[in-house]
Amino acid sequence: MTDLAAADQLLEDNSPASGRLSLVALTKQFGNGPDTVTAVDAVDLEIEPGEFITLLGPSGCGKTTTLRMIAGFEDPTGGEVVLDGRNMIDTPPNKRPMAMVFQSYALFPHLKVRDNVAYGLKLRKLPAAQLNEEVELGLKSMNIEQYANRAPNQLSGGQQQRVALARAMVMKPKVLLFDEPLSNLDAKLREQMRLEIRRLQRHLGITSVYVTHDQSEAMSMSDRIVVMNKGRVEQAAAPEVIYRQPATVFVADFIGRANFLDVTLLSHDDDGHATVEVLGQEVRVPAHPDAAGAADVVLLVRPESIRLVAVREGDEVAAGGHAGTVTTSVFFGDTVEYEVDTEHGTITAVVADPNVSDIHEEGAKVEVRFNEGRAWLLPREG
Amino acid sequence: MACKKFVHLLSLLPIVSPPFAVATAVITLFGRGGIISNQLLGQQWNVYGLGGLTLVLALSFFPVAYLNLLGMLRSLDPSLDEASQSLGANKWQVFRTVTLPMLIPGFAASFLLLFVEAIADLANPLVLGGDFTVLASRAYIAIIGEYNLGAGAAYSMVLLVPALLVFIVQRYWSNRQSAVSVTGKPAGAAKMNTSNAARIPVLALVAIVMALIITIYGTVILGGFVRILGVNNAFTLDNYRYLFQGIGSDAIITTTLLALIATPIAGILGMLIAWLVVVKLRRGAGVMDFLGMLGLAVPGTVLGIGYAIAYNTPFDAFGRRFIPALAGGGAIFAGAMAIVMVYIARSIPAGQRSGVAALQQIDPAIDEASTSLGASGLTTFRKVTIPLIRMALLSGLTYAFARSMTTISAIIFITTPRTRIMTSQILSEVEAGRFGNAFAYCTILIIIVLTVIGLLNLAMKGKGSSAAPTIPPAAA
Ligand SMILES: Nc1ncnc2c1ncn2[C@@H]1O[C@H](COP(=O)(O)OP(=O)(O)OP(=O)(O)O)[C@@H](O)[C@H]1O
Ligand SMILES: [Mg+2]
Repeated sequence: MTDLAAADQLLEDNSPASGRLSLVALTKQFGNGPDTVTAVDAVDLEIEPGEFITLLGPSGCGKTTTLRMIAGFEDPTGGEVVLDGRNMIDTPPNKRPMAMVFQSYALFPHLKVRDNVAYGLKLRKLPAAQLNEEVELGLKSMNIEQYANRAPNQLSGGQQQRVALARAMVMKPKVLLFDEPLSNLDAKLREQMRLEIRRLQRHLGITSVYVTHDQSEAMSMSDRIVVMNKGRVEQAAAPEVIYRQPATVFVADFIGRANFLDVTLLSHDDDGHATVEVLGQEVRVPAHPDAAGAADVVLLVRPESIRLVAVREGDEVAAGGHAGTVTTSVFFGDTVEYEVDTEHGTITAVVADPNVSDIHEEGAKVEVRFNEGRAWLLPREG
Repeated sequence: MACKKFVHLLSLLPIVSPPFAVATAVITLFGRGGIISNQLLGQQWNVYGLGGLTLVLALSFFPVAYLNLLGMLRSLDPSLDEASQSLGANKWQVFRTVTLPMLIPGFAASFLLLFVEAIADLANPLVLGGDFTVLASRAYIAIIGEYNLGAGAAYSMVLLVPALLVFIVQRYWSNRQSAVSVTGKPAGAAKMNTSNAARIPVLALVAIVMALIITIYGTVILGGFVRILGVNNAFTLDNYRYLFQGIGSDAIITTTLLALIATPIAGILGMLIAWLVVVKLRRGAGVMDFLGMLGLAVPGTVLGIGYAIAYNTPFDAFGRRFIPALAGGGAIFAGAMAIVMVYIARSIPAGQRSGVAALQQIDPAIDEASTSLGASGLTTFRKVTIPLIRMALLSGLTYAFARSMTTISAIIFITTPRTRIMTSQILSEVEAGRFGNAFAYCTILIIIVLTVIGLLNLAMKGKGSSAAPTIPPAAA
């Protein structure tokens, strides 16, 4: 576990109000002529001091490139990186008050753990006594004092990760940058590390930009998630907003699982709701503002918002429900997952904490209901 | 970019040329009546002796160090460089605190390896030594001049001990250093160092060395087409006429043929040893690797004298002849067999080195995947391993051929009147003062080596491999 007291001591004179990072129309193109690839396309982003931001998106969407432009390893084709009101574009990476944690850890193989952690401070020509003290605190805060005299290749992946974090932390950066730092760890350790990083970051209040394509990592760590697609920002919002009120079909589809129902928009009310027709039934659902003027809309219903009610032979389907047939039924222990054939096509439903006797068999006739308050109407085209 | 490629190719020239090319050209340029020293600058420099030898050896051997370091630099993980910058290091500090320490094993390996090569070098001291004698030339004079095989053997023992010691130290050292490994997927390429303070002195130094190389090889080529370069600069084809008539063409054909026989054998043996060392053998891998590398550790002079002594007489036992004489005038194939054996012994390490390096890059899971799909060990080697190390094999072959064609110290003791070898012919031309002929020989030798390397590349590259083949470092 991390030692928060030691970390505190290390960073005691970091002023909490600094570390405001803005990306202004940040753009990166690779190659030239007909082979030009726009890896990052006019990204605008305001990051508050102390905020933990995750860049999330499918492979190749430009997350790493964005991060490397913030760090200064990649020269932007256009746009600005502004830290506390100062444009950083002409500042070389070593002069930026930021520290990066690499996916491969990038520990210096020729230096012992202690010397790896001391590396940046030595470059700052800190007096020996202060240097030693801060290195000790860094080691202690990541709980790696016992490995201080080992070579990096004598450590496990998780331990190496801690060294990499300690090495970045002792620099007291205004911004911490992470590029998939946990992707080389096993699932258990990954979960533990992400909690530790989050705890430490929140405690110290260092602005952090974290790249990942693991959505549970993004959901569990971030103040805000920035979902990227093809070099553009699709949505930047708190995890629950991203999940419950996605701005686009892409976001809804990329984060978690989604059922999209074809609906007709009847009216858009000013209170953030809309009335739609779903297979002949009128329902009132929460709606994205953009849904009002959209040519076509879809209704997002998360699998866990769906309820299935068993239908006995001869029974009529009640109002507000749709008839369906269970095609697959998989018991996971904590949940049961169903696929149900309906007039809307196949619908996925997840029932948590299932009662074994209530599980619907494959082939069973069911009535599909959903919680209208949990649905979300959004435009079909971004 | 074009300039970079040009510098790269120029740096490799000394590897594909016979040892005399540089020494002879340096005499012509900087010697007593030298074109640059005397005619241009009016100076009287003495290139014979330690100073000239140092210059020539440095020029002849730096490509090996260059290739060693090039390979190491290419395999450095760029994120280390970035991690260092992210912690506040400027370009110079990155170089000093990260790049340089990681290169030290490469420097040390090159240093020790070249020490072995230099201490045993025969060709340059013979041409340039003047009154300054070295062990190798003593051994040569004892055997060739005084017919004293015993004295020659004694000198070579004195030579062998330090060479072997240094070699063992180098291996021990590089094994300990192998902890320095490369990890992670490279994320983007490291940016070029753009600070002028660092660039200008380095570029100036490179420019000087390149100018020297161009002048030297210009001299070699030109020297073949004039009577006596610097003395009588009249154009002539006599040198080449002399070469292609008489014993010259004999030597050219024999040498090329023997090198062509030795090359594939050395290349395949090298790969096989590499495969045994990396993949197959658990115990004994170190010993196997060491044995294969002996061709580098044992000075050529010692190897040649050893062969001359060991194989000059047939091996008889119980009144029957088991092994006929392999070396010397009365040997089978007129001594060609011993020459091919020397070529192989000297060339195996190149293939072995690049093979070991390539095999170590291959994830063992790939091998296991093939096995689990039902392939036998041999099939896996043929279908999976060989295609993956094809580029290594190519560079091994390339280097084996270049090395065979240009080796002299080992060959000089076992050539016979019926098997003439180009390098020893060049030596006699140089010793007789017929520099024109020597230059012509050198030019032809370089052309042959480059042609064969070109053909090898064409033949092996074939399908879609993008990695540009380079001549491998002699050792790492
Ligand atoms: N040096 C480069 N030269 C050319 N194209 C590049 C270069 N680096 C990245 N790209 C391209 O830019 C796009 C974005 O790459 P980037 O590495 O930022 O993706 P990513 O979102 O980090 O993906 P992943 O999740 O796979 O790491 C990709 O299409 C990639 O091919
Ligand atoms: Mg990436």
